[in-house]
Formats: sequence, structure tokens, C-alpha cells
Amino acid sequence: MRLQSVMPALVAGIHAKTMRRVEGKASKRFALAWMAGTSPAMTAGVFLSIVILAAPALADEAFVTAQGADALSIVDLAKMQTVATLPIGGKPAGVAVSRDGARAFITSPEGKFLTVIDAATRTIEKRIPVEGGPLGVAASPDGKRVYVADLYGRRLVEIVLAGGAQRSVGVGAMASGVAVAPDGKTIIVADRDDNALSLIDAATFSRAATIPVGKHPFGVTIDASSARAYSANVESDDVSVVDLATRKVIATLKCGSRPYTVALAKGRVFVANQHGDSVSVFDAESLAPLETIKVGEYPEGLAVSGDGARVYVANWFSNELWAVDAQTLKVLGKAETGDGPRAFGAFIRDAD
Amino acid sequence: MLRTLLRMRKPFTQSRVDISATRRLILGAAAGLAVFLPIAAFAAHGASPLKVVETTIVDAPPGKVWAVVSDFAHADWLPGVARVEASGDDVPDHARRRLILADGGVIEELLTKRDAERMLLGVHREGDDVKRLPATNYTALITLRPAEDGKTQVEWKARFYRGYPNNDPPPELNDDVAIAAVTAMQRAYLAALKAKVEGR
Repeated sequence: MRLQSVMPALVAGIHAKTMRRVEGKASKRFALAWMAGTSPAMTAGVFLSIVILAAPALADEAFVTAQGADALSIVDLAKMQTVATLPIGGKPAGVAVSRDGARAFITSPEGKFLTVIDAATRTIEKRIPVEGGPLGVAASPDGKRVYVADLYGRRLVEIVLAGGAQRSVGVGAMASGVAVAPDGKTIIVADRDDNALSLIDAATFSRAATIPVGKHPFGVTIDASSARAYSANVESDDVSVVDLATRKVIATLKCGSRPYTVALAKGRVFVANQHGDSVSVFDAESLAPLETIKVGEYPEGLAVSGDGARVYVANWFSNELWAVDAQTLKVLGKAETGDGPRAFGAFIRDAD
Repeated sequence: MLRTLLRMRKPFTQSRVDISATRRLILGAAAGLAVFLPIAAFAAHGASPLKVVETTIVDAPPGKVWAVVSDFAHADWLPGVARVEASGDDVPDHARRRLILADGGVIEELLTKRDAERMLLGVHREGDDVKRLPATNYTALITLRPAEDGKTQVEWKARFYRGYPNNDPPPELNDDVAIAAVTAMQRAYLAALKAKVEGR
């Protein structure tokens, strides 16, 4: 948090994991500086500039669910190439990579199961049956619990990985996207056909509130400071910005046609528009529209690199993953994926 | 009042097999309103969109094929279509058309994309009739590309869901049935386009 106070503009919107990592590295720096007799504050300044210059981590991977291919395409994001294809079955759609990058969780709504993948060895660790239509998925910050939205069962399922115990809490109709706040306290579920979000208290695993948003919310995300949630509302062509403390919509952002998912990077809000073949970009502070980026055909999943420098978009119709620079908003590259990439969730693995 | 009419619209379009005079009236009124009001007619659907890609080679230059494909308001060359009622001046997300079928049925479609430079047209079918087509939320993307000898490759690509919106579909409304029906439909559309452009 020290860094945040030094350069709020720099760190705003950066993934909490990155913050953790930066802090970790920073404390090592402080220790070294102290031993060398230099002022920690001075070192922090030097360190910050190093972090900025050395920003792009090049070993990230994308875990892209290719629903048509019934498989998982693993894309090397340095090469922008699919380097492995894992058969999953059951029409895989949702994905969540654990914060430490050790595991990826894949939902198969037709097969009614969750696949746990050892991300480093790219092997299937286990398959956990989930009744109904498991779709949206997110992992707890410590990676010990996985939350799965059952599209048909009006419920959010919690799976404790060690032991596999399951319990569920009632949510709204056609539960779709799931997001866990980085502080681990709150879970947000998009209740698509109720035009609302369910706010779940993670500690008691109970539904604390329902928050009306735009029409047919699908993808949801929560910012690094666990203050705001965002939902992409497919049928009202907008994004609802929700203040989690007051549990109210504080702004509505007009997007392109059929917005599907939201991601946050570099203090900006990115929205994938399915019919618009585009990504809308807004300033996260002023909420002013900044730009509309043309991407591939029928963009769906949207996620951010571990360092927050890039945004990745899965294009369902054209079977591609596109990389966009979160600062310059320029398209950096494209990778071919398996058929029908959904990549619905936090699908980037930071290999650091 | 308007809202009531619009809300009533979906059930009627879904059971279009035998449209009574009253229903026709309401349908007509609702369609009239649709010209002025943006309506979102996306039906409930499940978690697995399906994709069908069909292509053909038309013996004509891309410009000539695009002239036919892009004329959203006059698509009476589509098989089974008797006439077309259109509004919205071919403006994406506004232009709508009603394909009046020879058998009395009606298909309503929204223009979602019209890119003359890339020769790409997007169409979304509004309202579903699984008795006519055992699929829902049908969206098509038609792309023209130059082929050898001045010919044109036409790609007709669709995104849709099976006819049954939930898991464990009955056999007549499963994925395979939806894919087979959409494949057959798109092949027929491409054959009709080819015949129209080549003047056969």
C-alpha cells in the first residue's frame, strides 16, 4: 500500500496480485537498501522507475476455452501462439486461473463438471461433478475455494478444493458471470434474466443483497481495491458501475452493441462488444469514454496480463485471441485458437 | 400500451403455425411500432452457442455479389420468401426486415453489421420459431472475398443455440438437429444467391 500512496495514478487499476508481487519485491529491496545504508525512500523511487521500464512480463499464458472444439487452447502470450490443446469435453466455457498461477478451473455446462488443471504441467488434475449448468467461475484469492454459477439452478456453488465439499447459495435466474473481490470478502454473481447482481458475503456464504443493473448482465468484474463491481449488460448495451459499500449503481456507461464482458487495466475499463466487433474503453476515474478499438469477430472473453499492461480478447467467430496494449490501446498481436473461443473469466496465467 | 403489445409479441411469433386474424392484427401493430421503438428480442438460451460455416464460389466479381447481399431491404431472392417489408434504411442496429414467406409465415430480422469495405453483412433473427427452424438466437455473418478468375467466395457463418434452452434437450431439439437444420438452410441460401447473381 506504500507504493499506492507514492504513485496513485500508476497503480490504480493494476491487478491486486501485481500489487502483492510488487510489494514483495519492494520489501526485499528495502531490506537490501537498509543493509547498504541507503534511505529506503530513495530506493523506492529508483525501484519504481525500474518496475515501469521492466513492466511487460513475457511468460504469461492464456487459458482459452474453445467451446466448439471441446478443448482448452493454451496460448503462449510472448509468441502469441497456441502451444498446447487439452481435450476437456462437456463444451467448456468458463475459466478461472488461480492467483498464484498454479491451477486453472474450467466449467463444462453441458458435461456438468468442473475440470481442475495443473497449469504448469498442463495436465488434468481432476474433474468435479457440478449439477445443472456450471458456467461462470472464479477462485478465492487464496486459491482454496472455487465459486461456480449454475446457469439453470438459480444458485452459486462453492467447492472447497481440499476434500471437494460443496455447498450452494440461492441467487437469481440464469446465473452467469462470477467475480470474487481481491480482499476475498465479497462475491458478485450476474443474475442474467433477473437484470440484477447478487452480492454474496463470502464469510457467511449468504446472499447479502441484490442490486438491479442493466438488462441481461453477463460478465462481471471487481476492481483491485474491492470498491467497485462492473457488469456488462448484453441487452441494454451498457455497463453498470456498482459501489460495493453502498450496494448501488453509481454510473452507467454506454457501450457498443451487445457488451459481454468487462476487464480493468491501467485505470481503464475495457468492454467487449459482441455485435460491435469492438472493445469500448473508459477512464475508470472520470468514467469518460476514451476509445473504441476494432477487434476480431464476436469478441467474448476479456482478461488482463499479470502486470496490467495488456488486455486480451477472445474472438468467438474468428477463432482468435487478440492482444491490446492497455496504455496505447493499439493491437499488439493475434493468435489462432481452437474453434469457438469463449474464455469466459480470468483466463490469464501470470507465469512469474 | 406499447409495452404490453411488445411484450405480447414473443409468444405469438413463437407459435406462428396457425395465426388467427386477431393475432395477425396484433403482430402487424407490433411490427409497425417496431419501426419506431428499439426492441431487444433475444430469447432465453443456454450456455453453448453453436457455429456453422458454409461457403460457395459465385461466378461473378465481388462487387456484383455484394450489390445483392448488401441489399438488406430487398432480399426476396432468399428461398421461400414471397416479399420483404423493410425499415431503417440499411443502418446497422436500426434496419429491420420482415421476410413474408410463401407459406404465410413471417421471419423478422435486424441488420447488425454492414461494412462495404470489408464486404461483410451481419443479420440477427428476432424471435424464434423452433417449428420452422429448430434453433434460437440465430445470427449470421456473411463475408465476401475475391476468389480465382475474378470469382467471389461467399462465406455464410452463423451463431445460434439449439432449440431447447436448457440442459438435457429432447432429441428433436438437440445440438445435432439444430446444426443440421442451419447447415441445410445456409446451403439453400447460398445456392439461391449463386443462382440470383449468375442469372440462372
